[in-house]
Amino acid sequence: MRKSYVTNNIKLNEFDALIRITVEMSKYLYPYIREILKSKEDIEENSVIWNDFNKRFIELIKERLNIDTMRVKKLLNQAENDEIIIKSLLILSFCSSNQGYKKLKNFLYDF
Amino acid sequence: MIQNKLSFHQSSASLEIIGLPDYSNNEKKDQISIISQWKLTIVDKPLIEGKIEHLGPIMDAFYIYSNLLIKNEIPIYESKLIDIKADNLYIHNIVLKSSKPNVKPLVLKIGNSLLSDTINCFDQLNESSKVSIKKIYIPTNIPKKLRFGLNKKVKFFNSFIPPFIAICSLILFSSYFIYFYSPFENIEKKELINPK
Repeated sequence: MRKSYVTNNIKLNEFDALIRITVEMSKYLYPYIREILKSKEDIEENSVIWNDFNKRFIELIKERLNIDTMRVKKLLNQAENDEIIIKSLLILSFCSSNQGYKKLKNFLYDF
Repeated sequence: MIQNKLSFHQSSASLEIIGLPDYSNNEKKDQISIISQWKLTIVDKPLIEGKIEHLGPIMDAFYIYSNLLIKNEIPIYESKLIDIKADNLYIHNIVLKSSKPNVKPLVLKIGNSLLSDTINCFDQLNESSKVSIKKIYIPTNIPKKLRFGLNKKVKFFNSFIPPFIAICSLILFSSYFIYFYSPFENIEKKELINPK
């Protein structure tokens, strides 16, 4: 999915390290994640936060991912990507605790 | 005897645990092992409180429901004490049934933000060294056998599908060439043009 011509398989310790970084970042960013989730609940009042987040999300995807693949196209489709974004944000918010590493690892194995 | 009180806060939700330490187990004064009461306060929602036997099932319900929500399964949890189901992607409907007769169930509608706040409060309680309760079942712990089984299946399909698609596409592609070139027809045509 990445915009790269080299396909390197991720090592187990690198995978673990990425999970740890993600969990630490989700702890730090929890208030923001929460606000984004909340903005989608009452979109009429807080549409600005959700729209800004969605806009930046799409910008980053176009910048870093290979937009010719079907999976990435699905992420860019605004009609379909709401569910994916909300579920990803929910996973991050559920994992922002001290046991988050274990939780996130299990969520990813289960995907 | 003065009871200990511990609070766990996360944005709009807070969980309060009231109880006593188990002195027979040589526990410290500030610990809670015998929980007499707990209260879950969510901003703009009615107060949820109950006995110790209700806390475990309610925490389990929230953990199982959140897991179903993420795993793309139908997010419905039903039990004698609590029902949780999703109204849509953003709103969750919670029905708390009282154990006392003639008491109407309490219905709450919470969004994703409040759901994650509540789960974070429960996480803090689980991680707290000052409260000793029976460790709550965390449904995300998949048995190792099943986990590896799933991985093997995925690996098997991943290795099998690309050559299968390649062979199929070769067959389909080469079958078109049958219509493009027919040497016998060409010879016949040439004979018709130059009849010598």
